[in-house]
Amino acid sequence: MESASTAAASAVARPAVPGLAATTAILAAAGVALLAGLLVGFWIAPTDASTLGFSQKIFYFHAPIAETALLAYGVAFVAALLYLRRGAARYDRLGVAAVRLGLLFSLLVMVTGVIWGRAAWGVWWAWEPRLTTFLIACLLYSAYFVLRGAVEDESRRATYAALFAVVAFVDVPITFFATRFLPAGLHPVVLGPSGSGMDYRDLIAFLISMAGMTLLFVGLLRLELGIEALREELREIKYRLGR
Amino acid sequence: MGLRQYRAMVRKDIVRELRTRETVVAMLLFVVLAMVVFHYAFTVPGGGDLSLLTGGMLWVVFVFGALLGLNRTFAHEKDEGCFDGLLLCPVDRVTIFLAKMTANLVFLGLIQVIAVPLFALFFATGRMATHLPAFLALVVLADLGIAALGTLLATIAMHTRARELLLPIVFLPLVIPLLIAAASGTSAVLSGTAGSGSVLGRLAFLLVYDGVFLVLAYGTYDVAIGE
Amino acid sequence: MVGDGDTAVPEIRVEGLGKAFGRREVLRDVSFTVGRGGFLTLFGPNGAGKTTTLRLVATLLRPSSGSVAVAGYDLKDDPMPVRRAIGFISHNALLYRDLTAQENLRFYADMYGVADPGRRIGELLERVELSHRRYDVVSTYSKGMLQRLAIARALLHEPRVLLLDEPHSGLDPHAVEILDGLLGEIRAAHTFVMATHNLRQGLALADQVMILDAGRVVFSHVGRLAADEFAAVYHEHVREGALV
Repeated sequence: MESASTAAASAVARPAVPGLAATTAILAAAGVALLAGLLVGFWIAPTDASTLGFSQKIFYFHAPIAETALLAYGVAFVAALLYLRRGAARYDRLGVAAVRLGLLFSLLVMVTGVIWGRAAWGVWWAWEPRLTTFLIACLLYSAYFVLRGAVEDESRRATYAALFAVVAFVDVPITFFATRFLPAGLHPVVLGPSGSGMDYRDLIAFLISMAGMTLLFVGLLRLELGIEALREELREIKYRLGR
Repeated sequence: MGLRQYRAMVRKDIVRELRTRETVVAMLLFVVLAMVVFHYAFTVPGGGDLSLLTGGMLWVVFVFGALLGLNRTFAHEKDEGCFDGLLLCPVDRVTIFLAKMTANLVFLGLIQVIAVPLFALFFATGRMATHLPAFLALVVLADLGIAALGTLLATIAMHTRARELLLPIVFLPLVIPLLIAAASGTSAVLSGTAGSGSVLGRLAFLLVYDGVFLVLAYGTYDVAIGE
Repeated sequence: MVGDGDTAVPEIRVEGLGKAFGRREVLRDVSFTVGRGGFLTLFGPNGAGKTTTLRLVATLLRPSSGSVAVAGYDLKDDPMPVRRAIGFISHNALLYRDLTAQENLRFYADMYGVADPGRRIGELLERVELSHRRYDVVSTYSKGMLQRLAIARALLHEPRVLLLDEPHSGLDPHAVEILDGLLGEIRAAHTFVMATHNLRQGLALADQVMILDAGRVVFSHVGRLAADEFAAVYHEHVREGALV
C-alpha cells in the first residue's frame, strides 16, 4: 500500500545518470574488445622475434593507452576552443572530464611503460622522449586542476581552464620534439618503416585493442559527463535552497 | 596611437622599477645566490668537471629568477585600482601584453648583463667569449619565450587565489621544452664539442617556440586579461 | 558618426542590463537613459548593484544580458570610442603610488592620446590646486589630495560622460568640500552617473534618481526631489541599510 509513494520517493532520491544504458553498452563493448585484443595478441600473434621477445606483448596495451591519452587531450582542446567561442558551460564540463581521463590514461602509460622498460632494457625508468613527454603532460594537466581550484568565479574559472587547455595541448608536441635534443632514447619502434617486421596478426591484435581502448574512453567520458551533470544539478538545488 | 600607448606603459613600468628597485634587486640576488648554491650542491669529492653542467645550471637559474619578476608583473597594478585604470583606457589589449612582456624582457636582460659575466667567472672562464654570437642568440630567443609565455600566464594568475604559488605550477611544465633547448644549446656552445649545426637546430626550435606562444598570446589575451 | 552633437540620441542608454557571476545574479533588467548634461544618482544599500552597474557602463565588466550605449556608441560593438568618452572616478584613485603626479598624468595622457599633454596637465593641476606638489610621489599625498588628483586624471581626456563610484567615501570634510566645488564647476559640461548612499551629496546635483536593491531597480524618478521626500521613498523601498 505504501509501494507507490516509496517508488516515487526513491525516484527522487536516486536520479539516474543520463544515458546510463548506452554508456553501459559502450563499456561492455570496450571490455569485450580489450579481452579479444589480448586473446589475439597472446595466442594468435607470434612472439616477437627480435630482442624484445615476450615482453613485446604489453605493446597491445601500452600503445593504445598512449594514443587514447592523446585523444583525451585532443578532446579537451576542442572543448576548450568551443568554450572560448560559445561560452556554454557544457563545453567546460566536457573539457574537465576529458582532461581527467587524459591524466588517468597518461598515468597508465607511465605504469605500463615502466613495466615494459624493466622487461626490455632492465631499467625501471629511462628518460626516453615518449615516456618523458607523458610525464611532463601529467605535470601540465595536473596544473590544469590546480588552476581550476584557484579561481573562485565559475565563468572565469572555465575561461582560464579553457585557455590553459589550449596552451597545454599545443605544448605537448613541442615538448616531445624538445626531448629529442637529449641523448638518444631506448623506445622501440614497433610500428613503422624501421619496425621489427610486424606480422599482420600483430596488427589485428593491436587494432582490436585500440578500438577497445577508444570505446573505454568514450564510455568513461559519458559516465563522467553524466556524473558532472548530476553534480551541476545538485549545486543548483543547493544554491536555490541556500538563498 | 598604439605606439605611444606602448611606450607610455613600458616607460611607466621601468620608471617605477628604477624608483623602487623592488623586483630587479631581488631577482639579481636570487640568481647569484642560486649560482653559489649550485656550486656547493654539485661539487663532488675529488673535484669533478662542472663544465658539462653549466648550460643546465645557467638556464635553471634564469628560469627561476625570471619567475620572481613574472610574479610581480601586475603586482603594482593591483593597489589603488590601477588595473581598472589601465583597462579603462582606449587601448588594444594586445598592446598591454606587448608592453608588459617588454618590461619583463628588460628586467630579465638587465639581470643577465650582470649574471652572465659572473657565471663565466665562476664556472666557465674564457669559454663563453669564444662563441659569443651563438650564445647571445640563444639568450635572446630563450628570453623572448620566457617573457611571452610568462606574461600570458602571469595575466591569468593575477585573478586567482594564491597567485604567487600558482604561476610556477603552470609556468614550469610549459617552459620545459625551452629549458631543454636553451640548456643543451648553451652546453654545446660552451663545451665546443658540438658543431654549429646542433646549435642552429636549437635556435630554430626556440624561434618556433617563441612564435607559437606569441601567436597564442595574441589570440587569447583579450580573454586572458579578463572582463 | 552617430555621436557628436546629436541631441536626439541620449548620452547614456542602458537597456535590460543584467550581470551574473556564474549562477549568482547580481544585476537584473536595469534600464535607464541619461540625456546630455543630465545627472543620474544611483542609490541603494551595499551590494545592491550600484558599482556593478557603473563598471558595466565603464566596460570593466561584460554584460550577461542587455545593452549599453554611451555617446551613441554601442559598448559591445565599439568599446574604444565608449572608453574615450568616459571618465571614471571611484573611491580608488587609479594612480600609481610610486610615480609623481606629473608622471601619472603624463602616463594617462599618452594612453588616451591627449594632444599637447604638457599644457593640459598644467591646466588641470592648477585647477585641482596641486601644482605645488606636481613632482612629488603620489604615496606622500593625503587622501583628499589623492582624490583631487584622481579627478584631474579622470578629466584629462575631456570625457563627455563622468562615472562616479562613491567619490566621497573616505574623504575628510575639507576634501568633500573641494570635491563638491569641483563637481559643481564641471556639472554643466558633462553627463554624470553617480553611485552613493549619501543622501545630501547624492541629491545635490542630480536631476534624476534611481534606487537599486538586490540587483533590481525598485524606484526611478526623473526630476529633482527634496531630501525628506526622497528619504521617505527610500525607506519605503529598501528595508536594510540606512542612508547617511
